[in-house]
Amino acid sequence: MNPAGRIQAASKFLLQSPPGEINDVLNDVRNIISDDDSLQTGVLPALREYNLAQFITADVPGHQHQETSDAEHVEPDEESEAFRSALETASLSYLSAHYHDGVTSIFPSPGSSTSFIVQIVANKYNPSNFWSGRWRSEYVIDLDAKQIQGKIFLSVHYYEQGNVQLSTSHIISLALPPAITAPGGASSASKVLALIEAEEGKYQASLNDVYAEMGEKTFKGLRRALPMTRSKLDWDKVLGYKLGAELTSSKGVFGTS
Amino acid sequence: MADLVDSMLDLMRRLPPTHVEENVAALVAMCPDYADDLLGSVDQPLKVLTDRATGKDYLACDYNRDGDSYRSPWSNEYDPPLEDGTVPSPKLRKLEITANEAFDTYREMYYEGGVSSVFLWDLDDGGFAGVVLLKKALSPASPTEPAGSWDSIHVFEAAERGRQAHYKLTSTIMLQMVDRNAPAAPAKEGEQVDAKREGEVSLSGSMTRQTEQDWPLQDQTSHITNTGRMIEEMEIKMRNLLQEVYFGKTRDVVFDLRSIDDLEKARRQRELQKELVGFIKR
Repeated sequence: MNPAGRIQAASKFLLQSPPGEINDVLNDVRNIISDDDSLQTGVLPALREYNLAQFITADVPGHQHQETSDAEHVEPDEESEAFRSALETASLSYLSAHYHDGVTSIFPSPGSSTSFIVQIVANKYNPSNFWSGRWRSEYVIDLDAKQIQGKIFLSVHYYEQGNVQLSTSHIISLALPPAITAPGGASSASKVLALIEAEEGKYQASLNDVYAEMGEKTFKGLRRALPMTRSKLDWDKVLGYKLGAELTSSKGVFGTS
Repeated sequence: MADLVDSMLDLMRRLPPTHVEENVAALVAMCPDYADDLLGSVDQPLKVLTDRATGKDYLACDYNRDGDSYRSPWSNEYDPPLEDGTVPSPKLRKLEITANEAFDTYREMYYEGGVSSVFLWDLDDGGFAGVVLLKKALSPASPTEPAGSWDSIHVFEAAERGRQAHYKLTSTIMLQMVDRNAPAAPAKEGEQVDAKREGEVSLSGSMTRQTEQDWPLQDQTSHITNTGRMIEEMEIKMRNLLQEVYFGKTRDVVFDLRSIDDLEKARRQRELQKELVGFIKR
């Protein structure tokens, strides 16, 4: 494999990192590539893509490869700032009501003063007990089109003597009630967050149903806990049957070999 | 610098189990010199092949592979055919035939479908080793029905010690389950109808456990009843463990990230209670 192909493969590995394990994956990849110079420049786009896609929170100023680059002060758009800030206040109070360690960002959609993006991320890393988890959700609130488009992603990694991962995706498309407008300010913003709260609550509750269905149908359908007889196999009998069958059949049940 | 193979194995323990095949292929392409180490230590979903001689399905893994060919446990033939493919000694092949029949019964009793295969090979020290493979897949009739697959790989070594045998067993179970669209709660009456919800939930992974045990040995077939009992016990234990991790642990983490109940309300209630207790005491 040529060096470009190796960097491309390494980038793919990085993008698949479970929550909170990007540094571990990077260490493994570093050892496998064993060419720090080409790795460092080669995987930067992948690291950037990972940080953006996974809503990695940045300390300003941060450190290592998870730092904000070219931090610049952006003049808030006057027209949209009032409602953006109202959404931020409402989002923060929603966060403290339902997330144990959540972070939220609200910004206007690029090039629009009537569309806003609400991002929520919550992480729990527990390496001493071999698990990590991440909840990500993003909502585009379009006041003109009277629409909310939402996405929720969940990733959980459990890795004590194994590697078990939960991965979910959920998309939502909702009509925005006419009463929600930018001049509506704080009251409209809390209505938006009330809609999000209802959707996320419903989604989380529905996961219980999915777990129940998978447990009842899929898991049980794959392998029984015990045979129909409700007891373990009698292995002496299992062999006895076969030997008996071999004796009574002139051809033998084991084929010609 | 840490060992390269260790780094590759650590990586495979972290990356999504749903992509194990393509990730192993990528690692093999990156480090061809370590292909054998990697393919021998990373468990991949078992492939189902059909024996041309008997028409029976069997499972393919690294243990019945010779070059690009796989040996069928039913006919003992390689596919594509090999002139000098590795096969067990006649004595061990006899045991392998009986083991395949026994575990086929086991498969039917617990899996009610699926495919099983047992492969044995001679060891240099006079003992032998083997692998018992079981696979079942649920293919849904429609994309919204739940789908899943179960792959068991039990590798063992047997050493005879007089009238006893010592067994080392390493068991890996790979389990995948997918549920599409299920969370979309249908709109109730009076509820907003112009809403759309769809999604997918996937639970996938593998767990590995080991055990060493001594069992009495009457004749050669005792190896089958002994490993049979060990594997049955191990699968029962691991099925419980998988159930706990898949349906318990991963769910707990989700509910550790987000709470359905209002945390602020609960906080306020606790404070109010504290105040009341203080008030009563006064």
